[in-house]
Parts: sequence; structure tokens; C-alpha cells
Amino acid sequence: MEVVDHETPSLENGKTDKEVEENANVLQFMDSMDAYLTLIHSLSSTLRRGWLELASARHSMGASRVNTVLLDHTSHPAATSLLVTQDERKVDSGKPHFTLCKWASSSNENSLFGEKQSSQDKLHPQLRHRGSTELYEEKTSSENKASREVDDPVQKERSKSLSMFGTLVSPKLRAAQLSFEAALETLVEIANMRSEMLCAFDQVNMKLAGRKDEK
Amino acid sequence: MANRVQIPTSNSALIAMIADEDTVVGFLMAGVGNVDLRRKTNYLIVDSIKQIEDTFKEFTTREDIAVVLISQYVANMIRFLVDSYNKPVPAILEIPSKDHPYDPAHDSVLSRVKYLFSAESVASGRR
Repeated sequence: MEVVDHETPSLENGKTDKEVEENANVLQFMDSMDAYLTLIHSLSSTLRRGWLELASARHSMGASRVNTVLLDHTSHPAATSLLVTQDERKVDSGKPHFTLCKWASSSNENSLFGEKQSSQDKLHPQLRHRGSTELYEEKTSSENKASREVDDPVQKERSKSLSMFGTLVSPKLRAAQLSFEAALETLVEIANMRSEMLCAFDQVNMKLAGRKDEK
Repeated sequence: MANRVQIPTSNSALIAMIADEDTVVGFLMAGVGNVDLRRKTNYLIVDSIKQIEDTFKEFTTREDIAVVLISQYVANMIRFLVDSYNKPVPAILEIPSKDHPYDPAHDSVLSRVKYLFSAESVASGRR
């Protein structure tokens, strides 16, 4: 049963602005919690697929070839990392936002190359108006070439990551690698959903605490 | 305003792991492995509880780590440490392992928020 507060101004539907805001916070909390659990479930199935493919690879290649003894213990940076920023929507919330940078050491070089190219285009626009048809064909072929150039270094990084298990590896091992990459993407979504859920929880908690203090 | 938390931003933060062998190997194949000049890694294949505790404390205080993945059955061994951790970064994510499926009842984040669904909190809100 809803209790109408006579001290605060009410809208036509009987809810105050404060109650509407509280309901919105609760809804956001419930939605983020539901999304968090759904993502965890998705992660579980992706990991199960990865473990099965890894076990299949170990079966076909031999346990001695897929082993932690072969891990690279020499100094090397991570090829896949995270970009951590403050959530732009709510600067004061203290909520971090995570972005996955897969195979970043190779893709960053290519993206910088692409950015440099586009900035040169902007500096010399007049050149681009000559022979527009030929230019269009050149541009599409250069775009295709750029996308292939981006994929090749990524494939190279993937192969390099698997090279600790030998030159020729089972296709199951490559499949396991892709599964764990997909799991990483899900994990980053989970991390973002976690921070959203905790932020919404703090909002709801603050309102509840405020309500108890008033009483 | 008084409770504003400063988020340490970074453009190349690491994903750390405390998990079983297959999980760590899988994620290393995905490229998250990092070994610094002092041969310190960002992963631990679980062995003893003491080592897990020390590694968890190390990973949660390193500035270059943004997310710590920890198998839930490992987190249960150091539950008091995991539950008492409350910083936004690095984020602690409990993940399932091959032999131990994920149990939402043990997740530290869900434990923190579950009291909102208890009868006591609902009753106190209605008084």
C-alpha cells in the first residue's frame, strides 16, 4: 500500500519527484543485476567450450606439448590490455569504465597509421577532387588493403602467442584461443556491469539511509 | 561531492589471474600474460593458500592492474580477504572453474547487495 507524503508536492499520478527518482534507481539496480547474472551465465558456457577445446588439443598434441612448463617466463608485455577511464556519463560517481584492447601492440600501430592518413587527407582536400572515379577505386582498394594489414598483425600476434606450444599446433588449440578471447570480451562487459550495479546499489542505499534518518 | 572517489585511469592496464592451470593457460593464449623486468607475472596458477593470499594482496595493490580474475573456489579459500576488498579498481571478478561451477550465493559483489532483498530491509523501508 502506498503512503502519500503530504509535506512534499505531488504530481498528478500521486508520486513525488523523489519517489520517481528512487524507483528509477531501484530499476537500474535490478536491470544491472539481471544483466550481470546473464553475462556470468554466458561466460560459463564460453569457458566450458574453451576448456573442452583445450583438453581436445592436449589429447591430440600430447600433455607434454600443452603444459605450463612451456610458458614464456622472459620479460614481455601483455598483448591484450585494458583501457580504464572514468565513466563520462557521471563524472562524480567514481565509476570506472573498462575497454578491452585486444592484441593492442599490433593494432595500435595500424590505427595510428590510419589516423595519420586521414589527417593528411584533411590537409590536402584539393588533391582529392581530381579524377574522382579513379580516386574512389584507389580509396576502396586502399581501405581493403588497410583492413588486411590490420588482420595480418593480429593473426601474427595470435600465432606468436601459440608459438610457446610449438610451430604446428592443433586446430583445437586455435579454437580454444578464440574461445578465451571471447571470454575476455564477456569479462570486460561483466566488469562494467559490476561497477554499474554497485553504483546503483549505492544510490538505493543512500536513499534508504536518508529515509531512515527522516523517520 | 564529499564521497567522490578518484578512479586511477590507465591506457594499458593489465588483467591479472588467480586460477587453475587450464584457465590461466587459456587466457595466456588470449594475450593477457605480462612478465616485467623483475620476472614478476600477472598470473598465478594456484598452489597453496598462503601463496594465494599474498598474490591477491599484491595484485590488488599494483597500480598497473585493472581487473583481477579469480576462480570462485579459490576466492572461497580467502573469502575474508575478497569480501573485505571494496575498491573500484582493480575490479575483482569471480569466475567459474572446470571442476567448480559458479555459485551466485558466494559471489562477493552479490553478497554485498543481497541484503536489499531480505525481509528485514524491506520491512525497515516500509516503517
